[in-house]
Amino acid sequence: MIPPGPPATPAAFCLSLVILSLAGLALALAARRARLWCVGRGVRVEWVRGLLALPKRYLVDVHHVVGRDPFAARMHALAAGGLLGGSGLALLALIPTLGGARLYWAVIALAFAGALAGGVMVGRRRYPTKPARLSGGRFQILPFLLTAYAAGAMLVAFDAALGGALPALAWPALALAVIGGLGLALQVDRGPMRHAFAGATHLVIHPRPGRFEGERATDLVPLDLDAPRLGVATPSDFAVNRLVGFDACIQCGRCEIACPAFAAGQPLNPKRLIQDLAAAIQPNAANAAYKGSPYPNARAVAGIGGPDLPLIGAGAMIHPDTLWSCTTCRACVEECPMMIEHVDAIIDLRRYQTLELGALPAKASPPLMELRYADEPGGRALAARTDFAAGLTLPLISATGRAEVLLWLGEGAYELRYGRTLRALVTLLHTAGVDFAVLGPEERDCGDLARRLGDEATFQRLAAENIATLARYSFTRILTADPHALHALRNEYRAFGGAYEVIHHTALLDELVAGGRLTVGALHEARVTYHDPCYLGRYNGEIDAPRRLLDRLGLARLEMERAGKRSMCCGGGGGAPVSDIEGERRIPDIRMAQAAATGAGIVAVACPQCSAMLDGVTGERPEVNDIAELVLMAVEAGRAKAARKDVARKDASRPPEPVA
Amino acid sequence: MRIAILLSAGRHAVSGRPAPVSVELQAIRLARELIRQMAGEVDGNAAGDITGFHAGPDAGPLKDALGHGLPRLIQLSIGAQDDPLPSLAAALGAERFDLVLAGRSGQGGEDAGLLPYALARTLGLPIVADACALAAGPQHGTVSLEQALPRGARRRLTLRLPALVTVHPAAPAPLPFAFAAMRRGMLETREGVPAPRAAGEVEERAYRARPKLIAKSAAGASATERLKAATEAASSGGRLIVDPAPEDAARAILAHLRQIGVLRD
Ligand code: SF4
Ligand code: SF4
Repeated sequence: MIPPGPPATPAAFCLSLVILSLAGLALALAARRARLWCVGRGVRVEWVRGLLALPKRYLVDVHHVVGRDPFAARMHALAAGGLLGGSGLALLALIPTLGGARLYWAVIALAFAGALAGGVMVGRRRYPTKPARLSGGRFQILPFLLTAYAAGAMLVAFDAALGGALPALAWPALALAVIGGLGLALQVDRGPMRHAFAGATHLVIHPRPGRFEGERATDLVPLDLDAPRLGVATPSDFAVNRLVGFDACIQCGRCEIACPAFAAGQPLNPKRLIQDLAAAIQPNAANAAYKGSPYPNARAVAGIGGPDLPLIGAGAMIHPDTLWSCTTCRACVEECPMMIEHVDAIIDLRRYQTLELGALPAKASPPLMELRYADEPGGRALAARTDFAAGLTLPLISATGRAEVLLWLGEGAYELRYGRTLRALVTLLHTAGVDFAVLGPEERDCGDLARRLGDEATFQRLAAENIATLARYSFTRILTADPHALHALRNEYRAFGGAYEVIHHTALLDELVAGGRLTVGALHEARVTYHDPCYLGRYNGEIDAPRRLLDRLGLARLEMERAGKRSMCCGGGGGAPVSDIEGERRIPDIRMAQAAATGAGIVAVACPQCSAMLDGVTGERPEVNDIAELVLMAVEAGRAKAARKDVARKDASRPPEPVA
Repeated sequence: MRIAILLSAGRHAVSGRPAPVSVELQAIRLARELIRQMAGEVDGNAAGDITGFHAGPDAGPLKDALGHGLPRLIQLSIGAQDDPLPSLAAALGAERFDLVLAGRSGQGGEDAGLLPYALARTLGLPIVADACALAAGPQHGTVSLEQALPRGARRRLTLRLPALVTVHPAAPAPLPFAFAAMRRGMLETREGVPAPRAAGEVEERAYRARPKLIAKSAAGASATERLKAATEAASSGGRLIVDPAPEDAARAILAHLRQIGVLRD
């Protein structure tokens, strides 16, 4: 029975009904997919808080990332806004008073016009040639479905707005909308449209809600070493909200182009990894549906999986080499518009491989063994850590029990190259009169390497022992030149009861120069470009202090194309140098080429790993200098200038000497 | 195939902290791969078993050997000053092991490398030193092994079991450590045989690397010659006889021992 206040046109009424049934279909498919998520481990999620925060997380945080590609942002706003807005309004048109209003249908037509424009943009992006980072397959028919649905619905609504003036147009248009709409609805559980409902759910129950509140939530979740199974072997070992995250992936490929391992031709593509993880949650899973770029130089795998089948292995979904190629640089996480946490998943998978199976790359095993019995991945004597400072005064905190600043030397202290940096830093601290001391032989490795390689047991032991050592001394803050140690001490030790104020040497030097405790002379406009260490920039958000400091030195600072929080990794993190998975190129060579492209003569670094990786690049290339070395040069330049002035003043005031 | 592995209380070469000894961990790997090869399947326990033995006051970090692929470790509890030989001989004699593996020497503990020989004599087992690879032998009840000789040379032997074999550092690296495997592994403590050693028998001195002997002919010669003598493989003056008759071999050995003054008639 047609309700009182007849709808604008029969076609429009049918459109509303079609949308209602499509929505029902989509919901049913979504529910079927959501049931699969339940294989995951249960977690406590704050639903209410998440739901309330959803609009802000979506409109601000997601769009902050999406907006880096303005075309994609406009495209998405039109397509998603138009589609959801138009469909929602058309559904409400089932309410007679609304459905009878021609003006209301005009608004609907406008919304669908927006969706149509969005759909056309989606098509423009993919045709005639599809960029490599975008996936094909179901994604390639998306623009046709979108435009068909939007155009059909728009015409029906337009006709209704005109009071049914174009019935010959309305019915074929409705048919078009049905075809397009059905195609879209059927894509909800496996195709591109999955990202909409999985993405929204992911935003609500995100495993790191802190990241939406400006917190630098980048530390790994501590592992309970008494748990029956350590790490993740199968999809059902992941927490539910991680599985939802994998399903949220829209295969935009932003992570792929940011990934250094991908660029180096190592068998890792974060997008494919997430897709393999998402595909594996259903029974009898296969990896064949994926139509994006592959893992470079992919190692053969069986490509079979299921909720309780192993994820890693030649007979499973993902080859171990894929897992061990990652430098944990978090570039993928930084670029992902769906807020997926790739690195956490990778570390969870590594934990199982290392702790349960002992299946880590052959060359990664000896450093972990040395860490177990010598607290140092090279098996070197802890007392030799201070050897770099031969000839300098290096106060030991055990002598006095206290110091204003505790200098954490880190692994770099054993390396000849980085020893130079630390000598510069120590000299600068003396010059500025900073009250500092080192732990000397009491300093153990911070555990970063062990943790990234999945050896959580060794990390937790080192953390506990370092925390116990630090508890014996009094200091106000910890200074370190190693961003990996900084991250571990500042963020990851907190879960084990160690809360410290940790400052990176670039920040402290910036403070000292700004406060006038170090006088620097200008370095004559040498052209320098700064390479952000991942663990300082992306992990800890410190991108300004090093740049400010460089500017104070009178250098001409040039930026690489990828800089700041979107900087590219040097290849030195995550144990990648010891895992040493073969690729086509070396990551540091790629990064060095980017540095050279700026025309700079010096690459300024602020991390022992970056220093070692970039200084290992052969051939014609810019110099690699740690910021501490540059500051020392500037201080010495300042001193030399002052001395020259002094001499000049004395010369002027001295009476001419009698000639004998 | 039943394999026993002797584990000693080692120390890390630099930190001096208690640590398992690498050659002994390598022995675990050789044992596992031998059993796997014999069974033609992945599960190391299906075609035989591997048991580790340690005689000492406390298993300490030897528990870590369980993380390197050893399924079961038996600690024979004795005092710190006790001689481990009687305990090991009793334990190994009580069970029938086809193969007993040991490191060629320990590290940092009582590391003379003599224990395997003393044990082989007590148990009446043949002993072969310095294996770097093990494989199933041509006949049932044999293994074929590769012995590491100086300067990278290798000798392939076929050995009738039961036997005691010591492992050389040139064997494949230990299996990577797996924390959970260590947690799962079985550690059993049994009473050992108390065997106090007479105190003061052993003189303890700080370790000092033995200085390299410079060949006599080069002493006083030119710098180039001295360098050559120091860097070139110094010949110890032996004679290489390939596949000799046992009598000829014995004669050659006796002649050599006389020549260098070890034997005097
Ligand atoms: S993981 Fe994120 S960045 Fe990568 S393809 Fe998926 S949605 Fe895009
Ligand atoms: S963390 Fe870095 S190396 Fe690892 S997958 Fe992401 S982008 Fe690639």
